[in-house]
Amino acid sequence: MLQRRFVCTLDELPPGAMKLVDVGKFGVGVYNVRGSLHAIVNYCSHEGAPLCLGYVGGTNEADPDAPDGLRRTRDGQIVRCPWHNWEFDVTTGCNVADPQRRIRTYQVDVSDGEVYVTA
Amino acid sequence: MIVDTNVQPHFRSNAEIRDYLPQAHRLRAIPDVEQQWYQAPGGDYRRDLYGEHYPGSDPETVARHLFDDLRVQYAILNPLARGNIADYLLNSRICAAVNDWLLDRWLEPDNTGRFRGTIRVNPEDPRGAVAEIERLAGHPKLVQVGVPMQSREPYGKPVFEPIWEAAAAHGLPVAVHINGGNGVDYAPTFAGHAHTYPGYAAFMPLNYFVHLATLIVEGVFGRHPGLKFVFADGGYDILTPLMWRLDTFWLSMRDQTPWVDRYPSEYLPAHVRFCSSAFDGPTDAGQTQRWMEFSGKADLLMYGSSYPHWSTSTPDVAASGLDAEQRDKVLWHNASELYGLAAKGLAEKETAS
Amino acid sequence: MTTIERVKPQTEIAVAIVDTDVHPMPVSADVLKSYAPAEWVDKIWPTGNAVSPVPYFYDTPDSYKTMSLRVDATPPGGGFAGTDPDYAAKQLLVDSGVGIATLEPMCDAQLPQAEHVLKSTYNDWLADVWLDKNNAHGRWRGSISVSAQVPELAAREIQRWAGHPYMAQVLMTPQTRGIPFGNPHFDPLYEAASANGFPVATHLMGQTPFELIPVYPVGNPAHWHDFFASWPLLYVSHLMSLVFDGAFDRHPDLRVVFVEGGFTWAMPVMWRMDRIWEARRADLPHVRRRPSEYVREHVRFTTQPLEDADVRQFREYLEMMDLGDNLMFSTDYPHWSYDAPAYAINRFPAAHRERIMRGNATALYGLPATVKALPGEQPAGAVSFD
Repeated sequence: MLQRRFVCTLDELPPGAMKLVDVGKFGVGVYNVRGSLHAIVNYCSHEGAPLCLGYVGGTNEADPDAPDGLRRTRDGQIVRCPWHNWEFDVTTGCNVADPQRRIRTYQVDVSDGEVYVTA
Repeated sequence: MIVDTNVQPHFRSNAEIRDYLPQAHRLRAIPDVEQQWYQAPGGDYRRDLYGEHYPGSDPETVARHLFDDLRVQYAILNPLARGNIADYLLNSRICAAVNDWLLDRWLEPDNTGRFRGTIRVNPEDPRGAVAEIERLAGHPKLVQVGVPMQSREPYGKPVFEPIWEAAAAHGLPVAVHINGGNGVDYAPTFAGHAHTYPGYAAFMPLNYFVHLATLIVEGVFGRHPGLKFVFADGGYDILTPLMWRLDTFWLSMRDQTPWVDRYPSEYLPAHVRFCSSAFDGPTDAGQTQRWMEFSGKADLLMYGSSYPHWSTSTPDVAASGLDAEQRDKVLWHNASELYGLAAKGLAEKETAS
Repeated sequence: MTTIERVKPQTEIAVAIVDTDVHPMPVSADVLKSYAPAEWVDKIWPTGNAVSPVPYFYDTPDSYKTMSLRVDATPPGGGFAGTDPDYAAKQLLVDSGVGIATLEPMCDAQLPQAEHVLKSTYNDWLADVWLDKNNAHGRWRGSISVSAQVPELAAREIQRWAGHPYMAQVLMTPQTRGIPFGNPHFDPLYEAASANGFPVATHLMGQTPFELIPVYPVGNPAHWHDFFASWPLLYVSHLMSLVFDGAFDRHPDLRVVFVEGGFTWAMPVMWRMDRIWEARRADLPHVRRRPSEYVREHVRFTTQPLEDADVRQFREYLEMMDLGDNLMFSTDYPHWSYDAPAYAINRFPAAHRERIMRGNATALYGLPATVKALPGEQPAGAVSFD
């Protein structure tokens, strides 16, 4: 049953940070991606790894003009599963390689400097 | 209709190739035929074909065996070049000599119009290979480019890309076929040399998968939408488990090679074909029809006899266990589409693809 | 949080899952060296070297930051994942339903004698730390690491551990420098293993500083992705050699376990071997049986890493392959490519599950049906095979 839950103050969740909220069977990770807030389930849709323990950064996309054929993109919004390194965009919940593979996302809102997730 | 996509025509004698070498190379030593480390005990070719002529060396005999006896409509001739030669420039001249011989002896005199041929090139000499493709691609009876399975590097590596680009520009598939004609012949298995002929024969064709995986992961198929590879020694049963691995771990590895923008198996229909072989297929005939659906193999396989090899397989054996639609695809439809072969003398509705 | 019935300690519980591939590591180089003969320490771990080189011929996902280990398997007390037997027990035995796990340390050395000593050292360390001091529950099994380069010395090392209550198998590399498994070179090793009832397991020994990645016949890929998909052809090569070179005829009691190299390739390989054997019997007078029969009797495969193909197709493939007696579940804990038991169970046809998750390994290694429960552990019934 969805409930709006207090996470932390906005000061405690600066850009680049993640807060893990103990809700549901696996928990929910709330991310500050360059100022906008997003939340995903702490459970990889592949084999059930704790997704939110994974490294958050950018990813690579093809760049035919670059000598190594690629360039960095989407900094700060891609979480890598700590097991098989599947990449998920926390802002959409979609797998980067195959967007049809998804993880559950949740609404995050800020009120009076306090962060809430509805999960 | 039946198309035989894998026939090896042979020279009448070792010396015959010298007629086709340029003057500048007339004093060079050319390896003899049957130069390979693993010859089949008892001979590489069907016993009944050792007679008046060297096996597969007489066009009339070959035509009778294929077109009359087996009712084959078209045969794709893919000759072997001469094995293991260090001089890559001479190797390219040997390939050119083989190509000129093929035209002169098999394709030009062929009144039936049923033989098609291969432009053999040497991947160790990319400039020479491109030049050879440019020289001969216009000939209507040359329907593919041919390279050996053996290589120092897998065919997805950048050094080879100009060759594939030239082939694709002319709409020619590239056929990969075991032949020590590339200047290199490393140990045939991942664990070293085989100590038995069956140990060699069972494994060697499976090396195609490394070429295939690199063509996908290096982005060659991605950059050349019209490029097609034909793996002419079979080995397609292992395609399913290994492509499953390649697909599964694409999700883990995509960021190192982001130009691979789809599941690797999605490249198969547009880019990959196989010739059938006597050693492939379920040993339980009851599984054959269902097995063909894995990895979409019904659209990838083309009948190839390997004539005059000792393992020559007939169309009936190759199609054994298949349902009617699969049979049509394997025996002629897939090849007809790939090589642009129209049915001869058949009503139009029967040739509609 | 759901209520889960917890068993009291010292209770015996049924083994539901056997994990046939777990990788322990010494907590430090000093600890490992303490088990080596004094005169060899400086030869194997030269003090003149500035660093212990870490190899990366291929870069697995995230190997720079995670060293190819699960991020969440790092012991809370510090050290690398896989160095703490208690934390491994918690994550595998208590939290994941594993009843018994087979430990497989990874190591190799370039020079044959040094490799033999290194492997013996690992055996002494493993037996002491994992199979004795931290095995009161009796749920760890070990591997006798041996050098494939010196089969006579390997045979002696196997003999040294014969009768040990917790050593379950012999472990050797498949990176055998151009000598395939069926070659008589390995006969002393196979004889000693068979005579003592030890299966011979093989596992890629990682990327070595001196690059023993198999040299592919047509050259090597440049990326881990295509390398990874194709390297099982090394196992295919070894299996074909075992069959066609008559190793199973020379060693009728030999059992070989191919670890972490996949298994779905076994079906097309059995077909190919059978067809060529039928066509070329005269070339193989020493191979008395149909090749696929040798596979069914003599060979086992661990299941990790599982392919993530469509699950119905995957189960259908496994039913066609009909190797339900030859597969043994594994996790590869604590590596990044870990397969969770719950994920794995669902991938197998229902009729194969019990054998794959428990029965085949139990039969192969002579494992007990019950083990001592650990504090906080769920009873085996919590793991469903349906």
